[in-house]
Amino acid sequence: MTTATTSAPTATGGPKKRAVGVRKDMTAADIAATGLRDRWYPILPSRMVRPGESKKVTRLSVDWVLFRDPRGTVHMLEDRCPHRSAPLSVGQHLGDRLACKYHGVQVDGSGTVVSVPGMPGCALEGKQATVSLQVVEAADTIFAFVPLTRDSEPTPFVLPDRLTDEAVSWFPNFAEWAGPWRFYMDNVLDPMHGAFLHRDSHSMFGGDTSARFRIRETDRGFFFEKTDQVGVNFDWVEYVRGSMDYVDLEIPYAPNAGPGGVFGIVGMATPIDADNSAIFHWRTRRVAGWEREVWRFLYRTRLEARHWEVLEQDREVLEALAADADHEEHLYQHDLGVSRIRRIYRADAKKQAAILAGAPV
Amino acid sequence: MPEKAAHYLAPDQTHPEPISPYETKLSGSIMEVFGRGTHDLPGLIAGLNELGLHAPDGQAWNEHNFRAEMRRLGD
Repeated sequence: MTTATTSAPTATGGPKKRAVGVRKDMTAADIAATGLRDRWYPILPSRMVRPGESKKVTRLSVDWVLFRDPRGTVHMLEDRCPHRSAPLSVGQHLGDRLACKYHGVQVDGSGTVVSVPGMPGCALEGKQATVSLQVVEAADTIFAFVPLTRDSEPTPFVLPDRLTDEAVSWFPNFAEWAGPWRFYMDNVLDPMHGAFLHRDSHSMFGGDTSARFRIRETDRGFFFEKTDQVGVNFDWVEYVRGSMDYVDLEIPYAPNAGPGGVFGIVGMATPIDADNSAIFHWRTRRVAGWEREVWRFLYRTRLEARHWEVLEQDREVLEALAADADHEEHLYQHDLGVSRIRRIYRADAKKQAAILAGAPV
Repeated sequence: MPEKAAHYLAPDQTHPEPISPYETKLSGSIMEVFGRGTHDLPGLIAGLNELGLHAPDGQAWNEHNFRAEMRRLGD
């Protein structure tokens, strides 16, 4: 997969289209603000939708309802009854379907209306009338493919490398931040903040506070890395765009975290709406045998709290930034990664807006 | 900030139950031994025993009871 081919093969040209779950025209700016479509996104930790439970979430500025059927499979529907648009999430969970509270219309996991109790046999019955997303559960997390248009074909689901590697042990972490998703991406593509913002943390106390950076292109994204320091602080980050967009980075542990080397982080941000983000991290370490057992014990009892403090430092800055903080800045050499990621997303948003407008792309 | 109060922010996602004083003491002792640069299993176990910390059965730590306890508490 190359950097140019992350979007699903959406048909281009022809009539104007609406984005899935959106009932107005969207500009490139709207798409950039609420999230790029045609990608897999982490939606919610698996533990938050128990058997027999349904849960309302907003993702990419669209309301959705998640529900787990009796076989344990999670479904994700637009939270909108096809009859009169009442939210299905306030209805009843009937195992393999949801019943709308307003008029009792029943919708199954595929978005098909299976019963209209008020008018049996009406034309709505049997119709796939509610948006249903393709869902995969992996790495203790519910993922969904968020399509641009109804014609979008889901791309194959592929987890980040670290999470499929049997030699890597991991714990997931989930948080909701009151900041735009793009600020999360800017933050992680800027490793230099580690030596300042996180200097008093357990893991990023070492190393120089000045550095030179370079961008190293890969066939799936790019590395943004210090040219003169590695393995001391937050010294590099890889941005990967494949099945889903994610960042991958490593930060050294202090000796008191025991053997096993650095800890690796996989990070993703799913837009809730233009002003709020769902933040997913997997904290990982390549450890086996007793080292793995001890790391897992220390993670639960000690390290999770320390990692959380670091993440809170990020959240506090990002929530304090003005909504237009990424306008009229004065960037310097360390911000090459930030500039690059913004350029990529601007181009993607423009392309998706053109598809919606019916322009050939 | 919009709806900030409603946001999910949970520091302890791997252990809904509070950490027990025993776990706190054990993890602190392990990190103390690791912090001295001892990163091998026999060295760690010797270090814990030197700190006067006993295994759950009141005996000294050995590789068997230590790994069993880590598996019990870590997963």
